[in-house]
Amino acid sequence: MTTTQEPLVVVKEQGTKHVPGQPDMWVFVFFESLVFTAYFCVYLYSRTQHERAFLHGQSQLLAWLGVLDTVVLLTSSWSMARCVQHARAGRYAPARRDAFLTAGLGFVFLVLKIVEWARLIHLGHTFTSSEFFQYYFFLTAIHCVHLLIGFVVLGVLVWKLSDSQEIVETCATYWHTVDFFWVLIFALLYVVR
Amino acid sequence: METRVNMRLFVVWLILVAITVAYLGIDRAANDHGVATASTAVTVAAICLALIKVRIIMREFMEVRGAPQALCRLTDFCVVLMGVAMLGVYLAGRAVA
Amino acid sequence: MMRPAILDDPKRELWLAWYATVGFYSLYTVVFFIITRTQPPGKPWYDPSQVVGWFAGRHDGLLIGFALIFVLGGLSATSLALITYSIRRMSVSRAFAYSYLILYAVAAVPGFLFICIAMTVGAMRPERSPALLQWLYDLGFLSFSGTMGVFLIGSLIWMTAILLDKNRVFPKWFGYLNLCNALTEVVVAPSWIFHEGALAWNGAIAWWINVVVFGLYTGAFIYLLRSMILREDFGTGPLPGLDSKVWRTIVPAEATV
Repeated sequence: MTTTQEPLVVVKEQGTKHVPGQPDMWVFVFFESLVFTAYFCVYLYSRTQHERAFLHGQSQLLAWLGVLDTVVLLTSSWSMARCVQHARAGRYAPARRDAFLTAGLGFVFLVLKIVEWARLIHLGHTFTSSEFFQYYFFLTAIHCVHLLIGFVVLGVLVWKLSDSQEIVETCATYWHTVDFFWVLIFALLYVVR
Repeated sequence: METRVNMRLFVVWLILVAITVAYLGIDRAANDHGVATASTAVTVAAICLALIKVRIIMREFMEVRGAPQALCRLTDFCVVLMGVAMLGVYLAGRAVA
Repeated sequence: MMRPAILDDPKRELWLAWYATVGFYSLYTVVFFIITRTQPPGKPWYDPSQVVGWFAGRHDGLLIGFALIFVLGGLSATSLALITYSIRRMSVSRAFAYSYLILYAVAAVPGFLFICIAMTVGAMRPERSPALLQWLYDLGFLSFSGTMGVFLIGSLIWMTAILLDKNRVFPKWFGYLNLCNALTEVVVAPSWIFHEGALAWNGAIAWWINVVVFGLYTGAFIYLLRSMILREDFGTGPLPGLDSKVWRTIVPAEATV
Protein backbone atom coordinates (compact mmCIF):
# COMPACT_ATOMS: atom_id res chain seq x y z
CA MET A 1 0.00 0.00 0.00
CA THR A 2 1.55 3.31 -1.02
CA THR A 3 0.87 6.34 1.11
CA THR A 4 -0.44 9.04 -1.17
CA GLN A 5 -3.32 9.28 1.30
CA GLU A 6 -2.97 8.82 5.03
CA PRO A 7 -3.88 5.18 5.63
CA LEU A 8 -5.24 3.82 8.88
CA VAL A 9 -3.50 0.50 8.32
CA VAL A 10 0.23 0.72 7.67
CA VAL A 11 2.24 -2.39 7.21
CA LYS A 12 5.74 -1.32 6.26
CA GLU A 13 8.13 -3.31 8.35
CA GLN A 14 8.06 -5.40 11.47
CA GLY A 15 7.23 -3.52 14.63
CA THR A 16 5.56 -0.55 12.92
CA LYS A 17 2.27 0.88 14.02
CA HIS A 18 -0.88 -0.97 13.14
CA VAL A 19 -4.53 -0.58 14.11
CA PRO A 20 -5.48 -3.41 16.48
CA GLY A 21 -8.26 -5.32 14.73
CA GLN A 22 -10.76 -3.80 12.34
CA PRO A 23 -10.92 0.00 12.52
CA ASP A 24 -14.69 -0.54 12.36
CA MET A 25 -14.71 -1.99 15.86
CA TRP A 26 -13.04 1.19 17.14
CA VAL A 27 -15.98 3.13 15.67
CA PHE A 28 -18.20 0.95 17.83
CA VAL A 29 -16.00 1.49 20.88
CA PHE A 30 -16.10 5.24 20.47
CA PHE A 31 -19.82 5.39 19.77
CA GLU A 32 -20.81 3.06 22.61
CA SER A 33 -18.51 4.99 24.97
CA LEU A 34 -20.44 8.13 24.14
CA VAL A 35 -23.76 6.37 24.76
CA PHE A 36 -22.56 5.04 28.12
CA THR A 37 -21.14 8.44 29.04
CA ALA A 38 -24.61 9.87 28.38
CA TYR A 39 -26.10 7.25 30.73
CA PHE A 40 -23.48 8.08 33.36
CA CYS A 41 -24.23 11.78 33.07
CA VAL A 42 -27.96 11.16 33.59
CA TYR A 43 -27.12 9.06 36.67
CA LEU A 44 -24.68 11.64 38.07
CA TYR A 45 -27.13 14.48 37.60
CA SER A 46 -29.91 12.53 39.33
CA ARG A 47 -27.47 11.78 42.11
CA THR A 48 -26.81 15.45 42.75
CA GLN A 49 -30.54 16.20 42.90
CA HIS A 50 -31.33 13.45 45.41
CA GLU A 51 -28.13 13.17 47.39
CA ARG A 52 -29.43 11.66 50.57
CA ALA A 53 -31.57 9.01 48.87
CA PHE A 54 -28.71 7.96 46.63
CA LEU A 55 -26.25 7.82 49.53
CA HIS A 56 -28.66 5.66 51.47
CA GLY A 57 -29.12 3.28 48.57
CA GLN A 58 -25.40 3.14 47.87
CA SER A 59 -24.65 2.23 51.47
CA GLN A 60 -26.41 -1.08 50.85
CA LEU A 61 -23.74 -2.07 48.33
CA LEU A 62 -20.62 -3.97 49.31
CA ALA A 63 -17.59 -2.09 48.03
CA TRP A 64 -15.31 -5.11 48.37
CA LEU A 65 -17.63 -7.11 46.11
CA GLY A 66 -17.39 -4.36 43.52
CA VAL A 67 -13.61 -4.47 43.83
CA LEU A 68 -13.66 -8.22 43.36
CA ASP A 69 -15.85 -7.86 40.26
CA THR A 70 -13.40 -5.34 38.85
CA VAL A 71 -10.34 -7.46 39.56
CA VAL A 72 -12.00 -10.45 37.88
CA LEU A 73 -12.71 -8.46 34.73
CA LEU A 74 -9.28 -6.84 34.72
CA THR A 75 -7.75 -10.30 34.91
CA SER A 76 -9.95 -11.42 32.03
CA SER A 77 -8.63 -8.48 30.01
CA TRP A 78 -5.10 -9.52 30.89
CA SER A 79 -5.69 -13.06 29.64
CA MET A 80 -7.38 -11.60 26.54
CA ALA A 81 -4.31 -9.46 25.79
CA ARG A 82 -2.05 -12.48 26.27
CA CYS A 83 -4.27 -14.48 23.95
CA VAL A 84 -3.84 -11.88 21.21
CA GLN A 85 -0.07 -11.94 21.64
CA HIS A 86 0.08 -15.72 21.52
CA ALA A 87 -2.10 -15.80 18.43
CA ARG A 88 0.08 -13.18 16.72
CA ALA A 89 3.12 -15.34 17.35
CA GLY A 90 1.34 -18.43 15.99
CA ARG A 91 1.12 -20.10 19.40
CA TYR A 92 -2.50 -21.19 19.01
CA ALA A 93 -2.74 -23.65 21.87
CA PRO A 94 -1.76 -21.14 24.59
CA ALA A 95 -3.94 -18.57 22.80
CA ARG A 96 -6.91 -20.90 22.97
CA ARG A 97 -6.21 -21.57 26.66
CA ASP A 98 -6.14 -17.84 27.36
CA ALA A 99 -9.38 -17.35 25.44
CA PHE A 100 -11.10 -20.00 27.55
CA LEU A 101 -9.61 -18.45 30.68
CA THR A 102 -11.09 -15.12 29.62
CA ALA A 103 -14.49 -16.72 29.13
CA GLY A 104 -14.17 -18.47 32.49
CA LEU A 105 -13.41 -15.21 34.27
CA GLY A 106 -16.31 -13.57 32.46
CA PHE A 107 -18.50 -16.32 33.77
CA VAL A 108 -17.19 -15.79 37.31
CA PHE A 109 -18.10 -12.10 36.98
CA LEU A 110 -21.59 -13.06 35.85
CA VAL A 111 -22.05 -15.38 38.82
CA LEU A 112 -20.81 -12.71 41.24
CA LYS A 113 -23.25 -10.25 39.70
CA ILE A 114 -26.17 -12.63 40.04
CA VAL A 115 -25.23 -13.36 43.65
CA GLU A 116 -25.08 -9.63 44.34
CA TRP A 117 -28.43 -9.00 42.69
CA ALA A 118 -29.98 -11.87 44.64
CA ARG A 119 -28.61 -10.46 47.88
CA LEU A 120 -29.97 -7.00 47.19
CA ILE A 121 -33.37 -8.30 46.14
CA HIS A 122 -33.46 -10.40 49.29
CA LEU A 123 -32.84 -7.19 51.27
CA GLY A 124 -35.80 -5.61 49.50
CA HIS A 125 -33.94 -3.49 46.95
CA THR A 126 -35.29 -3.98 43.48
CA PHE A 127 -35.41 -2.20 40.13
CA THR A 128 -38.41 -0.19 41.28
CA SER A 129 -37.72 0.25 44.99
CA SER A 130 -35.70 3.46 44.77
CA GLU A 131 -34.12 5.76 42.25
CA PHE A 132 -30.60 4.69 43.18
CA PHE A 133 -31.46 1.04 42.59
CA GLN A 134 -33.21 1.88 39.35
CA TYR A 135 -29.87 3.18 38.09
CA TYR A 136 -27.90 0.41 39.80
CA PHE A 137 -29.90 -2.40 38.20
CA PHE A 138 -30.11 -0.56 34.88
CA LEU A 139 -26.35 0.04 34.57
CA THR A 140 -25.30 -3.39 35.82
CA ALA A 141 -27.90 -5.13 33.65
CA ILE A 142 -27.03 -3.30 30.44
CA HIS A 143 -23.39 -4.02 31.20
CA CYS A 144 -24.24 -7.70 31.64
CA VAL A 145 -25.97 -7.70 28.26
CA HIS A 146 -22.69 -6.45 26.79
CA LEU A 147 -20.89 -9.19 28.69
CA LEU A 148 -23.21 -11.87 27.31
CA ILE A 149 -22.56 -10.54 23.81
CA GLY A 150 -18.88 -10.79 24.78
CA PHE A 151 -19.25 -14.56 25.16
CA VAL A 152 -20.55 -14.76 21.60
CA VAL A 153 -17.63 -12.59 20.49
CA LEU A 154 -15.20 -14.91 22.30
CA GLY A 155 -16.78 -17.80 20.43
CA VAL A 156 -16.05 -16.04 17.15
CA LEU A 157 -12.49 -15.39 18.33
CA VAL A 158 -11.85 -19.06 19.10
CA TRP A 159 -13.43 -20.06 15.77
CA LYS A 160 -11.21 -17.69 13.79
CA LEU A 161 -8.13 -18.04 15.99
CA SER A 162 -5.83 -19.58 13.41
CA ASP A 163 -7.47 -17.93 10.39
CA SER A 164 -7.47 -14.22 10.98
CA GLN A 165 -5.40 -12.23 13.44
CA GLU A 166 -7.51 -9.22 12.54
CA ILE A 167 -10.70 -10.92 13.76
CA VAL A 168 -8.89 -12.03 16.93
CA GLU A 169 -7.83 -8.46 17.65
CA THR A 170 -11.29 -7.14 16.80
CA CYS A 171 -12.92 -9.52 19.26
CA ALA A 172 -10.32 -8.63 21.90
CA THR A 173 -11.08 -4.95 21.42
CA TYR A 174 -14.75 -5.64 22.16
CA TRP A 175 -13.91 -7.59 25.30
CA HIS A 176 -11.64 -4.86 26.66
CA THR A 177 -14.44 -2.38 26.06
CA VAL A 178 -16.75 -4.43 28.27
CA ASP A 179 -14.00 -4.36 30.89
CA PHE A 180 -13.44 -0.62 30.86
CA PHE A 181 -17.17 0.09 30.94
CA TRP A 182 -17.27 -1.88 34.18
CA VAL A 183 -14.30 0.08 35.54
CA LEU A 184 -16.37 3.24 35.10
CA ILE A 185 -19.61 1.70 36.38
CA PHE A 186 -17.88 0.42 39.51
CA ALA A 187 -16.47 3.85 40.33
CA LEU A 188 -19.82 5.55 39.73
CA LEU A 189 -22.06 3.13 41.62
CA TYR A 190 -19.84 2.01 44.49
CA VAL A 191 -17.43 4.87 45.23
CA VAL A 192 -18.71 8.19 43.99
CA ARG A 193 -20.38 10.18 46.77
CA MET B 1 10.97 -10.32 23.37
CA GLU B 2 7.91 -12.30 24.21
CA THR B 3 8.81 -12.53 27.91
CA ARG B 4 9.44 -8.78 28.07
CA VAL B 5 6.09 -8.04 26.54
CA ASN B 6 4.35 -10.49 28.84
CA MET B 7 6.12 -8.97 31.84
CA ARG B 8 4.84 -5.61 30.79
CA LEU B 9 1.28 -6.92 30.66
CA PHE B 10 1.67 -8.41 34.12
CA VAL B 11 2.96 -5.11 35.55
CA VAL B 12 0.09 -3.27 33.90
CA TRP B 13 -2.36 -5.71 35.45
CA LEU B 14 -0.74 -5.22 38.86
CA ILE B 15 -1.04 -1.45 38.59
CA LEU B 16 -4.70 -1.70 37.59
CA VAL B 17 -5.47 -4.05 40.47
CA ALA B 18 -3.60 -1.78 42.89
CA ILE B 19 -5.64 1.24 41.82
CA THR B 20 -8.80 -0.85 42.16
CA VAL B 21 -7.92 -1.94 45.69
CA ALA B 22 -7.08 1.67 46.52
CA TYR B 23 -10.75 2.41 45.95
CA LEU B 24 -11.47 0.50 49.15
CA GLY B 25 -9.40 3.04 51.03
CA ILE B 26 -11.24 5.92 49.37
CA ASP B 27 -14.54 4.25 50.12
CA ARG B 28 -13.65 3.87 53.80
CA ALA B 29 -12.37 7.43 54.06
CA ALA B 30 -15.49 8.73 52.37
CA ASN B 31 -17.69 7.42 55.16
CA ASP B 32 -17.29 10.04 57.82
CA HIS B 33 -17.53 8.10 61.09
CA GLY B 34 -19.49 5.40 59.31
CA VAL B 35 -22.03 7.84 57.86
CA ALA B 36 -22.03 8.31 54.13
CA THR B 37 -21.75 11.93 53.11
CA ALA B 38 -21.72 13.58 49.72
CA SER B 39 -18.26 14.69 48.70
CA THR B 40 -17.06 16.38 45.56
CA ALA B 41 -13.47 15.41 46.31
CA VAL B 42 -14.28 11.71 46.53
CA THR B 43 -16.37 11.84 43.37
CA VAL B 44 -13.74 13.66 41.37
CA ALA B 45 -11.04 11.31 42.65
CA ALA B 46 -13.12 8.21 41.87
CA ILE B 47 -13.91 9.37 38.34
CA CYS B 48 -10.35 10.48 37.58
CA LEU B 49 -8.90 7.21 38.83
CA ALA B 50 -11.41 5.30 36.71
CA LEU B 51 -10.41 7.30 33.64
CA ILE B 52 -6.74 6.67 34.33
CA LYS B 53 -7.50 2.96 34.44
CA VAL B 54 -9.51 3.22 31.21
CA ARG B 55 -6.59 4.93 29.48
CA ILE B 56 -4.17 2.27 30.73
CA ILE B 57 -6.48 -0.48 29.48
CA MET B 58 -6.73 1.23 26.11
CA ARG B 59 -3.02 1.84 25.71
CA GLU B 60 -1.72 -1.45 27.05
CA PHE B 61 -4.39 -4.12 26.75
CA MET B 62 -6.04 -2.74 23.63
CA GLU B 63 -2.59 -2.05 22.10
CA VAL B 64 -3.30 1.57 21.26
CA ARG B 65 0.32 2.24 22.27
CA GLY B 66 1.45 0.55 19.08
CA ALA B 67 -1.24 2.10 16.93
CA PRO B 68 -1.07 5.06 14.53
CA GLN B 69 -1.28 8.56 15.96
CA ALA B 70 -4.87 9.01 14.82
CA LEU B 71 -6.09 6.19 17.06
CA CYS B 72 -3.96 7.35 19.99
CA ARG B 73 -5.46 10.80 19.70
CA LEU B 74 -8.99 9.48 19.27
CA THR B 75 -8.80 7.32 22.39
CA ASP B 76 -7.25 10.11 24.44
CA PHE B 77 -9.96 12.45 23.19
CA CYS B 78 -12.58 9.87 24.17
CA VAL B 79 -11.19 9.65 27.72
CA VAL B 80 -11.03 13.41 28.06
CA LEU B 81 -14.54 13.80 26.68
CA MET B 82 -15.91 11.26 29.15
CA GLY B 83 -14.14 13.02 32.01
CA VAL B 84 -15.30 16.47 31.02
CA ALA B 85 -18.88 15.30 30.51
CA MET B 86 -19.18 13.38 33.76
CA LEU B 87 -17.40 15.87 35.96
CA GLY B 88 -19.13 18.77 34.24
CA VAL B 89 -22.59 17.32 34.77
CA TYR B 90 -21.79 16.36 38.36
CA LEU B 91 -20.46 19.79 39.28
CA ALA B 92 -23.27 21.56 37.45
CA GLY B 93 -25.79 19.32 39.22
CA ARG B 94 -24.33 20.10 42.62
CA ALA B 95 -24.45 23.80 41.85
CA VAL B 96 -28.10 23.57 40.82
CA ALA B 97 -29.22 21.42 43.77
CA MET C 1 -17.30 6.78 -9.48
CA MET C 2 -20.25 9.22 -9.58
CA ARG C 3 -22.66 8.59 -12.37
CA PRO C 4 -25.80 10.51 -13.32
CA ALA C 5 -27.70 7.71 -11.75
CA ILE C 6 -31.22 9.04 -12.25
CA LEU C 7 -30.81 8.58 -15.99
CA ASP C 8 -29.20 5.21 -15.54
CA ASP C 9 -31.88 2.75 -16.57
CA PRO C 10 -31.25 -0.23 -14.27
CA LYS C 11 -30.87 1.93 -11.21
CA ARG C 12 -33.87 4.16 -11.75
CA GLU C 13 -36.11 2.10 -9.49
CA LEU C 14 -33.45 1.96 -6.78
CA TRP C 15 -33.14 5.74 -6.83
CA LEU C 16 -36.93 6.08 -6.71
CA ALA C 17 -36.96 3.88 -3.61
CA TRP C 18 -34.10 5.84 -2.06
CA TYR C 19 -35.76 9.24 -2.59
CA ALA C 20 -39.00 7.80 -1.25
CA THR C 21 -37.07 6.67 1.84
CA VAL C 22 -35.71 10.17 2.37
CA GLY C 23 -39.23 11.48 1.79
CA PHE C 24 -40.69 9.08 4.32
CA TYR C 25 -38.25 9.91 7.12
CA SER C 26 -38.67 13.62 6.47
CA LEU C 27 -42.44 13.24 6.63
CA TYR C 28 -42.12 11.18 9.81
CA THR C 29 -39.97 13.84 11.48
CA VAL C 30 -42.19 16.74 10.46
CA VAL C 31 -45.43 14.97 11.42
CA PHE C 32 -44.31 13.58 14.77
CA PHE C 33 -42.16 16.46 15.99
CA ILE C 34 -43.78 19.51 14.49
CA ILE C 35 -47.37 18.93 13.37
CA THR C 36 -48.67 16.50 15.96
CA ARG C 37 -46.02 17.20 18.62
CA THR C 38 -46.34 13.63 19.85
CA GLN C 39 -42.54 13.55 20.04
CA PRO C 40 -41.02 14.30 22.51
CA PRO C 41 -43.69 12.11 24.12
CA GLY C 42 -46.29 13.34 26.60
CA LYS C 43 -45.61 12.73 30.27
CA PRO C 44 -46.50 9.28 31.56
CA TRP C 45 -47.56 10.60 34.96
CA TYR C 46 -50.37 12.81 33.65
CA ASP C 47 -53.70 12.25 35.30
CA PRO C 48 -56.82 12.08 33.12
CA SER C 49 -57.54 15.81 33.29
CA GLN C 50 -54.01 16.64 32.17
CA VAL C 51 -54.34 14.18 29.31
CA VAL C 52 -57.52 15.98 28.23
CA GLY C 53 -55.48 19.18 28.15
CA TRP C 54 -52.73 17.43 26.16
CA PHE C 55 -55.19 16.34 23.50
CA ALA C 56 -56.89 19.74 23.47
CA GLY C 57 -53.59 21.51 22.89
CA ARG C 58 -52.84 19.31 19.89
CA HIS C 59 -56.32 18.76 18.43
CA ASP C 60 -55.80 20.06 14.89
CA GLY C 61 -52.19 18.94 14.68
CA LEU C 62 -53.07 15.37 15.59
CA LEU C 63 -55.86 15.11 13.04
CA ILE C 64 -53.99 16.75 10.18
CA GLY C 65 -50.58 15.21 10.89
CA PHE C 66 -51.77 11.65 11.26
CA ALA C 67 -54.08 12.02 8.26
CA LEU C 68 -50.91 12.70 6.28
CA ILE C 69 -49.36 9.56 7.75
CA PHE C 70 -52.39 7.46 6.87
CA VAL C 71 -52.15 8.66 3.28
CA LEU C 72 -48.40 8.66 2.81
CA GLY C 73 -47.22 6.23 5.47
CA GLY C 74 -46.96 3.50 2.86
CA LEU C 75 -43.74 5.17 1.77
CA SER C 76 -42.16 3.34 4.67
CA ALA C 77 -42.38 0.22 2.52
CA THR C 78 -39.76 1.64 0.15
CA SER C 79 -37.26 2.03 2.96
CA LEU C 80 -37.87 -1.54 4.03
CA ALA C 81 -37.67 -2.80 0.46
CA LEU C 82 -34.37 -1.07 -0.19
CA ILE C 83 -32.81 -2.46 2.97
CA THR C 84 -34.12 -5.93 2.12
CA TYR C 85 -32.64 -5.50 -1.37
CA SER C 86 -29.29 -4.59 0.19
CA ILE C 87 -29.33 -7.73 2.32
CA ARG C 88 -30.20 -9.85 -0.71
CA ARG C 89 -27.23 -8.33 -2.53
CA MET C 90 -24.98 -9.69 0.22
CA SER C 91 -23.29 -13.07 0.06
CA VAL C 92 -25.36 -14.37 2.98
CA SER C 93 -28.47 -16.52 2.78
CA ARG C 94 -31.64 -14.87 1.51
CA ALA C 95 -33.27 -15.95 4.76
CA PHE C 96 -31.70 -12.89 6.39
CA ALA C 97 -33.42 -10.57 3.92
CA TYR C 98 -36.81 -12.22 4.27
CA SER C 99 -36.63 -12.35 8.08
CA TYR C 100 -35.75 -8.66 8.22
CA LEU C 101 -38.57 -7.77 5.85
CA ILE C 102 -41.17 -9.72 7.80
CA LEU C 103 -40.01 -8.47 11.20
CA TYR C 104 -40.00 -4.81 10.28
CA ALA C 105 -43.23 -5.01 8.33
CA VAL C 106 -44.91 -6.61 11.35
CA ALA C 107 -43.24 -4.19 13.79
CA ALA C 108 -44.62 -1.22 11.86
CA VAL C 109 -48.14 -2.02 13.04
CA PRO C 110 -47.68 -1.69 16.80
CA GLY C 111 -44.55 0.43 16.63
CA PHE C 112 -45.75 3.03 14.20
CA LEU C 113 -49.43 2.78 13.27
CA PHE C 114 -50.94 2.21 16.73
CA ILE C 115 -49.91 5.63 18.00
CA CYS C 116 -51.34 7.28 14.88
CA ILE C 117 -54.65 5.49 15.30
CA ALA C 118 -54.88 5.91 19.07
CA MET C 119 -54.12 9.64 19.01
CA THR C 120 -56.43 10.30 16.07
CA VAL C 121 -59.27 8.50 17.86
CA GLY C 122 -58.53 10.53 20.96
CA ALA C 123 -58.48 13.84 19.11
CA MET C 124 -61.56 13.04 17.05
CA ARG C 125 -64.04 13.37 19.93
CA PRO C 126 -62.62 15.70 22.62
CA GLU C 127 -65.80 15.16 24.69
CA ARG C 128 -64.84 11.55 25.45
CA SER C 129 -64.42 10.66 29.11
CA PRO C 130 -60.99 11.64 30.48
CA ALA C 131 -60.34 8.06 31.58
CA LEU C 132 -60.90 6.84 28.04
CA LEU C 133 -58.63 9.56 26.66
CA GLN C 134 -55.95 8.51 29.13
CA TRP C 135 -56.36 4.91 27.95
CA LEU C 136 -55.77 5.99 24.35
CA TYR C 137 -52.81 8.14 25.43
CA ASP C 138 -51.19 5.20 27.24
CA LEU C 139 -51.90 2.81 24.36
CA GLY C 140 -50.35 5.21 21.86
CA PHE C 141 -47.15 5.91 23.74
CA LEU C 142 -46.60 2.46 25.17
CA SER C 143 -47.05 0.79 21.79
CA PHE C 144 -44.70 3.29 20.16
CA SER C 145 -41.94 2.89 22.73
CA GLY C 146 -42.57 -0.47 24.28
CA THR C 147 -42.64 -2.68 21.20
CA MET C 148 -38.99 -2.24 20.45
CA GLY C 149 -38.29 -5.94 20.84
CA VAL C 150 -39.22 -6.65 17.24
CA PHE C 151 -37.04 -3.85 15.91
CA LEU C 152 -34.23 -5.09 18.13
CA ILE C 153 -34.23 -8.53 16.50
CA GLY C 154 -34.40 -6.89 13.07
CA SER C 155 -31.30 -4.82 13.85
CA LEU C 156 -29.47 -7.93 15.00
CA ILE C 157 -30.39 -9.75 11.79
CA TRP C 158 -29.08 -6.88 9.69
CA MET C 159 -25.94 -6.72 11.82
CA THR C 160 -25.24 -10.43 11.45
CA ALA C 161 -25.81 -10.26 7.71
CA ILE C 162 -23.39 -7.34 7.36
CA LEU C 163 -20.68 -8.98 9.47
CA LEU C 164 -20.91 -12.26 7.55
CA ASP C 165 -21.19 -10.60 4.15
CA LYS C 166 -18.27 -11.03 1.75
CA ASN C 167 -19.72 -8.72 -0.90
CA ARG C 168 -18.85 -5.58 1.07
CA VAL C 169 -22.32 -4.10 0.59
CA PHE C 170 -21.96 -2.14 3.82
CA PRO C 171 -18.85 -1.30 5.83
CA LYS C 172 -18.43 -3.37 9.00
CA TRP C 173 -18.72 -0.30 11.23
CA PHE C 174 -22.35 -0.03 10.19
CA GLY C 175 -22.83 -3.63 11.29
CA TYR C 176 -21.54 -2.62 14.72
CA LEU C 177 -23.74 0.48 14.68
CA ASN C 178 -26.69 -1.90 14.31
CA LEU C 179 -25.58 -3.43 17.59
CA CYS C 180 -25.51 0.00 19.24
CA ASN C 181 -29.00 0.67 17.91
CA ALA C 182 -30.23 -2.73 19.07
CA LEU C 183 -28.86 -2.14 22.57
CA THR C 184 -30.64 1.20 22.87
CA GLU C 185 -33.82 -0.64 21.94
CA VAL C 186 -33.22 -3.00 24.87
CA VAL C 187 -33.03 0.05 27.08
CA VAL C 188 -36.58 1.11 26.20
CA ALA C 189 -38.09 -2.06 27.70
CA PRO C 190 -38.36 -0.62 31.27
CA SER C 191 -40.71 2.11 29.98
CA TRP C 192 -43.54 -0.37 30.62
CA ILE C 193 -42.72 -0.19 34.34
CA PHE C 194 -41.79 3.41 35.11
CA HIS C 195 -44.16 6.37 35.03
CA GLU C 196 -41.40 8.88 35.61
CA GLY C 197 -37.67 9.17 35.62
CA ALA C 198 -34.97 8.36 33.11
CA LEU C 199 -36.51 5.04 32.09
CA ALA C 200 -40.08 6.23 31.52
CA TRP C 201 -41.28 6.47 27.92
CA ASN C 202 -40.24 10.15 27.86
CA GLY C 203 -37.14 9.68 30.02
CA ALA C 204 -33.60 10.89 29.44
CA ILE C 205 -32.37 7.37 28.81
CA ALA C 206 -35.40 5.64 27.29
CA TRP C 207 -36.28 8.47 24.92
CA TRP C 208 -33.75 11.30 24.55
CA ILE C 209 -30.54 9.27 24.25
CA ASN C 210 -32.40 6.67 22.19
CA VAL C 211 -33.63 9.25 19.71
CA VAL C 212 -30.12 10.65 19.23
CA VAL C 213 -28.75 7.17 18.55
CA PHE C 214 -31.68 6.32 16.28
CA GLY C 215 -31.30 9.58 14.37
CA LEU C 216 -27.60 9.00 13.76
CA TYR C 217 -28.28 5.38 12.82
CA THR C 218 -31.01 6.37 10.34
CA GLY C 219 -28.80 9.08 8.82
CA ALA C 220 -26.00 6.54 8.46
CA PHE C 221 -28.10 3.93 6.69
CA ILE C 222 -29.73 6.44 4.36
CA TYR C 223 -26.23 7.59 3.37
CA LEU C 224 -24.95 4.02 3.03
CA LEU C 225 -27.94 2.92 0.95
CA ARG C 226 -27.13 5.75 -1.44
CA SER C 227 -23.52 4.58 -1.51
CA MET C 228 -24.68 1.03 -2.24
CA ILE C 229 -26.81 2.17 -5.17
CA LEU C 230 -23.89 4.16 -6.59
CA ARG C 231 -21.65 1.10 -6.38
CA GLU C 232 -24.24 -1.44 -7.52
CA ASP C 233 -23.16 -3.52 -10.48
CA PHE C 234 -26.09 -5.96 -10.43
CA GLY C 235 -23.76 -8.90 -10.07
CA THR C 236 -23.56 -11.40 -7.25
CA GLY C 237 -19.97 -10.80 -6.22
CA PRO C 238 -18.33 -8.10 -4.13
CA LEU C 239 -19.43 -4.59 -4.87
CA PRO C 240 -16.73 -2.29 -6.23
CA GLY C 241 -14.80 -0.41 -3.53
CA LEU C 242 -16.40 2.21 -1.35
CA ASP C 243 -15.64 5.76 -2.52
CA SER C 244 -14.02 7.14 0.59
CA LYS C 245 -10.23 7.01 0.49
CA VAL C 246 -10.13 5.94 4.10
CA TRP C 247 -11.92 2.72 3.26
CA ARG C 248 -9.93 2.16 0.10
CA THR C 249 -6.90 1.47 2.25
CA ILE C 250 -8.80 -1.13 4.23
CA VAL C 251 -10.59 -2.93 1.44
CA PRO C 252 -7.38 -4.55 0.07
CA ALA C 253 -6.67 -6.00 3.52
CA GLU C 254 -10.19 -7.46 3.71
CA ALA C 255 -9.97 -8.79 0.16
CA THR C 256 -7.03 -10.98 1.06
CA VAL C 257 -8.94 -12.79 3.84
